[in-house]
Amino acid sequence: MAAPEAEVNTHTGKLEFSLDVPFPSAEEAIIALRSLSPDREPRRGGISKQLSVSGNTLYVRWSADEARTLRVSVSSFMDHLSLVLETMEAFGPAVKLHT
Amino acid sequence: MTVVIGFEGSANKIGIGIIRDGEVLSNPRRTYITPPGQGFMPSDTARHHRAVILTVLKEALDQAGLKPADIDCVAYTKGPGMGAPLVTVALVARTVAQLWGKPLLGVNHCVGHIEMGRLITKANNPTVLYVSGGNTQVIAYSERRYRIFGETIDIAVGNCLDRFARVIKISNDPSPGYNIEQMAKKGSQYVELPYTVKGMDVSFSGILSYIEEAAHKMLSSGQCTAEDLCFSLQETLFSMLVEITERAMAHCGSQEVLIVGGVGCNLRLQEMMDVMCKERGAKLFATDERFCIDNGAMIAQAGWEMFRSGHVTELKDSWITQRYRTDEVEVTWRD
Repeated sequence: MAAPEAEVNTHTGKLEFSLDVPFPSAEEAIIALRSLSPDREPRRGGISKQLSVSGNTLYVRWSADEARTLRVSVSSFMDHLSLVLETMEAFGPAVKLHT
Repeated sequence: MTVVIGFEGSANKIGIGIIRDGEVLSNPRRTYITPPGQGFMPSDTARHHRAVILTVLKEALDQAGLKPADIDCVAYTKGPGMGAPLVTVALVARTVAQLWGKPLLGVNHCVGHIEMGRLITKANNPTVLYVSGGNTQVIAYSERRYRIFGETIDIAVGNCLDRFARVIKISNDPSPGYNIEQMAKKGSQYVELPYTVKGMDVSFSGILSYIEEAAHKMLSSGQCTAEDLCFSLQETLFSMLVEITERAMAHCGSQEVLIVGGVGCNLRLQEMMDVMCKERGAKLFATDERFCIDNGAMIAQAGWEMFRSGHVTELKDSWITQRYRTDEVEVTWRD
């Protein structure tokens, strides 16, 4: 995984953090994306995150007003990501769907 | 033949159950129990669920003797409940639904209790009293909705009991409510407490404040025992619940009562409700602790009904929500 530092966006004044998570295949990255994206951030404002997949990689981009909110969100995300990975490991591989 | 797996984890119980056409094939569950005097907090509860959920999932499949290919639909609790635990469970449900190539179904936790109660007891069209640590509602079915006839205007009855258990520092194992029930049997002195029925609704936070203060005063001066307070609290709370249930029955002309939710395990509540039912020539239905306490099979059962009447939840719409009213669900599987 890359990018361990948060940076301040000098235009918006917000803290930004990014995470690039490589997966063995695009399919698995998409499964992770679809599991991790539906839930909204808890009530507390001043934080948003964007998830996307390109190739085999899941990209996560945070934008936050405060360092504390950013830390909590990233920490939760890491817990959630690791649960999804463990689930994929225990109950994968994905079945091939005939469409 | 339709097989549905249900995931439940909105409070401190994590359960996964499998139902095939009205038959419970498996229903394993784990409970996060805190030390006496402490309640369960969202992040700790989520951590508990996360640690055991994959094990419980394997158990559910093994005990049912099924493989993922045998499942037709993956149901999970969309809400209401505690945010962090709900997310933990939804993540696994979403992931396995995709891995196994099965449709996903977000279920309302309250509707899960109702549908399980209907399945197990075969009650036809009862007035439902749904009482748990998180919810207190009197519900009746009418025209495609589970209508809320009466409810708590502040805390749930189970929450009142659980928080009183913390004050007198009794064990939370197997549940604080169960231990209050056992202690209440040994109570003999009735301590008068506020009785707060408000029309069709009830209020419990005032009773809680009152009894918390009374406990400190009366127990230290030896005026009564903790058993007496447990007894008095149950009598008061349960009388209030019987009253609002009866009021709803009178409105609906109903001859059946179904009690669901964790507090529904309480035999004294069942006894008191039965007295009222007999007076009205009505019948009481209740389930045992396997099904009245939160469990996965109840989510599977509601999911079974929903799936067979055409509901499906798209992944992008599968977000969890802490607030989800019982009457928000379109009950398309009943007339």
